[in-house]
Amino acid sequence: MINDFHYLKPASVKEALAMYAEHDDCKVICGGQSLLIVMRQGMVAPEYLLDIKGLKELNYIRFDEKDGLRIGATTTHREIEKSDVIGKRYPVLVAMEEKLASIQTRNWGTIGGNLAHADPAGDPGPVLIALKAEIKFGSSNGEKTVPLDEFFVDYFETQMEHGDLVLEVHIPTPAPKFGCAYQKFNLLDSEMGIVAAAASVTLNADGTCADARVVLGNAGPTPLRVTKIEDLLKGKKLDDKLFAEAGKIASEEAQPVADIHASEEHRRHVLGVLTKRMLKKAFEQAQKA
Amino acid sequence: MSHAKYSVINTHVHNIDGVAKVTGRATYTFDVKLPGMLHGKILRSPHPHAKIINIDTTRAMELPGVKIVVTGKDTLGIKQGIWRRYEELCDEQVLPLEKVRYIGEPVAAVAAITEEIAEAALDLIDVEYEVLPAVYEPLEAIKKEAPTIHEGVERNVNVTRHIEWGDVDEAFEEADYIREDWFKCSGQAHMCMETRAAVSNFTPEGKLTCWASTQSAYYTQGLLAGVLGLREGDVRVLAPYVGGGFGGKFELDAAMFCSAVMSMKLFKPVKVVFTREEDFIASKRRTPMFYYVRTGVKKDGTFCARESRMFSNGGAYTGMGATALYLSGFFHSFPYKWRGYRYDGYRVYTNTLPSTSMRGFGAPQAMFCSEQQIDWICADLGLDPFEVRRKNGHTEGYEVPGQAFIASCGLEQCINEIEKWVKSKGKLPANRGIGISSCGFMSGGIFNWFDSPYSFSSAVVTINVDGTVELHVGCQDIGQGSNTTMAIIAAETLGVKVEDIRVHSGDTAHCPADLGAWGSRQTLMAGNAVKMACEDAKKQLLEFAYAEMGINIVYDLDIKDRWVHIVARPERGMKYEDLVKKALRAKDGQRIMGRGYYTPHRKGMISPAYSYMMQAVDAEIDPETGRIKIHEVMTAHDCGQPINQLGLIGQLEGAASMALGYAYLEDMPMEDGKLMNPNLVDYKVIRAPEMPEAGIIEIDTYEPEGPYGAKEAGEGLTNPTAAALGNAVYHAMGIQMKELPITPERILKALREKKEQEAQK
Amino acid sequence: MEKQVLRFKVNGDEYEVFIHPKTLLVEVIRDHLGLTGTKRGCETVSCGACTVNVNGFSVKSCSVLAIQCQDMEVTTVEGLEQHGKLSPIQRSFLDHGSYQCGFCTPGMLMSATAFLNEAKNPTRDQIKESIEGNICRCTGYNSIVRAIEAVTQGKYKEE
Repeated sequence: MINDFHYLKPASVKEALAMYAEHDDCKVICGGQSLLIVMRQGMVAPEYLLDIKGLKELNYIRFDEKDGLRIGATTTHREIEKSDVIGKRYPVLVAMEEKLASIQTRNWGTIGGNLAHADPAGDPGPVLIALKAEIKFGSSNGEKTVPLDEFFVDYFETQMEHGDLVLEVHIPTPAPKFGCAYQKFNLLDSEMGIVAAAASVTLNADGTCADARVVLGNAGPTPLRVTKIEDLLKGKKLDDKLFAEAGKIASEEAQPVADIHASEEHRRHVLGVLTKRMLKKAFEQAQKA
Repeated sequence: MSHAKYSVINTHVHNIDGVAKVTGRATYTFDVKLPGMLHGKILRSPHPHAKIINIDTTRAMELPGVKIVVTGKDTLGIKQGIWRRYEELCDEQVLPLEKVRYIGEPVAAVAAITEEIAEAALDLIDVEYEVLPAVYEPLEAIKKEAPTIHEGVERNVNVTRHIEWGDVDEAFEEADYIREDWFKCSGQAHMCMETRAAVSNFTPEGKLTCWASTQSAYYTQGLLAGVLGLREGDVRVLAPYVGGGFGGKFELDAAMFCSAVMSMKLFKPVKVVFTREEDFIASKRRTPMFYYVRTGVKKDGTFCARESRMFSNGGAYTGMGATALYLSGFFHSFPYKWRGYRYDGYRVYTNTLPSTSMRGFGAPQAMFCSEQQIDWICADLGLDPFEVRRKNGHTEGYEVPGQAFIASCGLEQCINEIEKWVKSKGKLPANRGIGISSCGFMSGGIFNWFDSPYSFSSAVVTINVDGTVELHVGCQDIGQGSNTTMAIIAAETLGVKVEDIRVHSGDTAHCPADLGAWGSRQTLMAGNAVKMACEDAKKQLLEFAYAEMGINIVYDLDIKDRWVHIVARPERGMKYEDLVKKALRAKDGQRIMGRGYYTPHRKGMISPAYSYMMQAVDAEIDPETGRIKIHEVMTAHDCGQPINQLGLIGQLEGAASMALGYAYLEDMPMEDGKLMNPNLVDYKVIRAPEMPEAGIIEIDTYEPEGPYGAKEAGEGLTNPTAAALGNAVYHAMGIQMKELPITPERILKALREKKEQEAQK
Repeated sequence: MEKQVLRFKVNGDEYEVFIHPKTLLVEVIRDHLGLTGTKRGCETVSCGACTVNVNGFSVKSCSVLAIQCQDMEVTTVEGLEQHGKLSPIQRSFLDHGSYQCGFCTPGMLMSATAFLNEAKNPTRDQIKESIEGNICRCTGYNSIVRAIEAVTQGKYKEE
């Protein structure tokens, strides 16, 4: 059962940050698609609940050719899924959103809430990191922007401290020869992945790899960016042999936890397969771009 | 007689409860709200096996808003069970007095003014347990040194069943080839959309009214009366719309029992609704089974002998498990002629949640073993799987020795149709295969383990002055559409339209007794009762028509589409509505009433009639991840005469979805008796994107025992799918899956083992 | 803790309720307003039986704080019918037998309604995706998909 709480409804971001700073035992709710479940189980029972869902200030999708894509924290998953500009310039984001939970959840849940929740099995994290995203958060004391892969610190834990709100996600404009792909392994299409892999590839004009990223989902306490693979691929002419090798590295570097759905061995194996496949897919996209 | 042309039967008829369901008017037990109603919650055992030393309810009673806390001590302590005829199988107290036998077993119940207070009160009940050693697997529980779960029951063997015919050993001697395999079949949760729920209202006249989400209002009435010390007639059970049953809702459950016990003490309505988690951990489930199968065949594929042994995980109590034990062993021989057949089934108690009936009733497990082994035997001997099944399949007029008489059988046509369909698919790409499975199933059982004195099904039909019809039946619509099916049979028999019929069901105060919705019995048994009642009413009506119309003695009258007419000269007749008015006046203003009933007599050991089918599953496996994609399911199906067209399609598609879940998605892993996935995130139910097309080819037969030739459809259709998927995997990847569910990890393991074996050669 | 006033429209009617802010939307709909068409089937936001439309969007009402619907318009299954006239999707469900026990049906209808309001010439796969968040244990989904498809093909145009 959800505990009784004092309900705070700020009218602006400034007011929200002030209220948040004022109350120690306070949690933030936006869409609540992650928060309400844990509150119902009694795992989280704050004295104050700060509702920022109505903050239109933070609901936006803006694209600029130089600056890239900026998504406000209270933008819903569905708005991202249906965005024309995102569909054109970052189709992997739309593809990821289409398989995120259900339409009902996407209609109410927000990108800021998802990232603040910091579930390593969450879909947006690995994809956004593969897209080289950074995240802006702030409190009444000021704002900070960090690369998204540094934002996540542990299971359900971010760099944010009490008083901090997620404000915006910023994804740079993709390079001319860029590709990004994401796949999760599950039994039912829209479930959270038992494991998942996102891969991005940027090619030089001569077709060699300028840089690549592989980010694994549900393979550790945070989305796992496998830098060993980046080093392996940089500067090289990419081929199936390299993709297979990358898969092997992913298998080894991952720190998946076994549960009733799959053993550790199976998770490692599938992470390797997904890595190999997503790198190849991203590479082919980059070639066509 | 083939599928004759009828006015109503097998036409596109809307489900008569449709408008209520699509407009939100349909009220379920989940929705029932009464003035002054209290909310009940149940405290459950955290231990798989423990003595109850003491329960202190003082603190809970002191919580403001709590009205009562009850334990086993507040009940008559009666051990009940649905196999009423066999006292030793009535082993469950619902609120036990002495010990708990599975994690989740109720030990106390609270009624309070809000759900929240009731739940808070649970934490304030102090239970002192003496934890006992526990055992979770049947093959462990049957050992001499295993802890005793029910006093006096040796080796924890709850029930045994032996089925045998022919000279089995001699038949094995005749065989050219013998194969033996072990299989492990998992459990499955019914996972009805509406969880177990009941509202009980006991009033000062000493009468109890209970709204229950039940598959049989009559069973609930009898069971409640038995444990509460009331007369059956003083208990009224109402089953308003029921949100699914699938075999899990005709026993006495804790919602019914605890709400009734508390209401009887408070004289106030009490509602108990299981949370989804409770529904998973503490309502009974499909029986997990270990099967040993030994089969002998001739080199031309003629079946000689089969000998099987099965150990089932009965869980803590009997429930309907005794029936599943028998039916599994019987349908394990289906649908083939065996010269010698022997089955020994052992149902073993363990300290896990009890297992019971679930759609298919032991047959899905039995087919998983039998139909896969048959394909492997065919592969071993280089025989065609269709030809072997055709060669050995049941035929009309066959008698399963001492067990069953097959009066109608479309199996061969089913096999022919699926063979055609499979061949039309041509050569499949790599890692893709089509697997088949045939089976048959019962149309209701002949056994009276409930020890009912009533006819198995009854019906009363009354014709109002304007020609509208009141049909009172005891059969229960749990979504399968029995109300509509009965209305169709009534309309066809009386010669009126479906919209003229109002079906009354789900109320023991107004409806005749009926054993309820299980074992695929209602279309045949309740259908026969309805047909008989309507024939009776029509005969009475037509007496007045003969008098009124004064026709030649050689002519017969009948009614069709509200037109009373001479059969040979249908243009001559009178309106049905006019006849009804005249008949009423002729009977002193009394409405014409017809009565019908049905109980199977001398119909063998199992069922009065059997459906047949063959199913094919087209599946593709990702060889690197093991992930399964089901492309299509196709079933050729013999249910005699289809009655409810939309209902039949719904049953086929619904059965396929549930059976696919059993085959590759749903599992109930336990650790030390604790269910590890009691929620819908971790328990995986198939959803729309994964559901493949499930086509149906209806085979034309006529079952003399069924109303208009009808047999069951809906439960049998759950039986073949796990086997068919297993065979698809076999043909796609060359691996034998002997364990359910078929998961990616198990597939990859089998592929690795196959690779290693081949490397060794 | 202080109760809050929630003013919103449900099925076209104005309501004002006085609730604890922790009250879920499904609780207001079922318990405060007595509209029991909307059901609940789980505790983990999985089954979709509680699906309603808020400002035209389908949401799982067990996972939304009612207070967040201030000044919004909620539609439940009871709001699909207008004085005895069934909506196209309801009529299509009847024709296709797209329900059996009916417990998931209100949620399915609301998901379908939201989808039909925005979808243009959807594929069958897109239709399946539209009800991905709704579990049905009885029908196997295909009859529901056929019913939605028939509406998208214009077979139930309003007169």
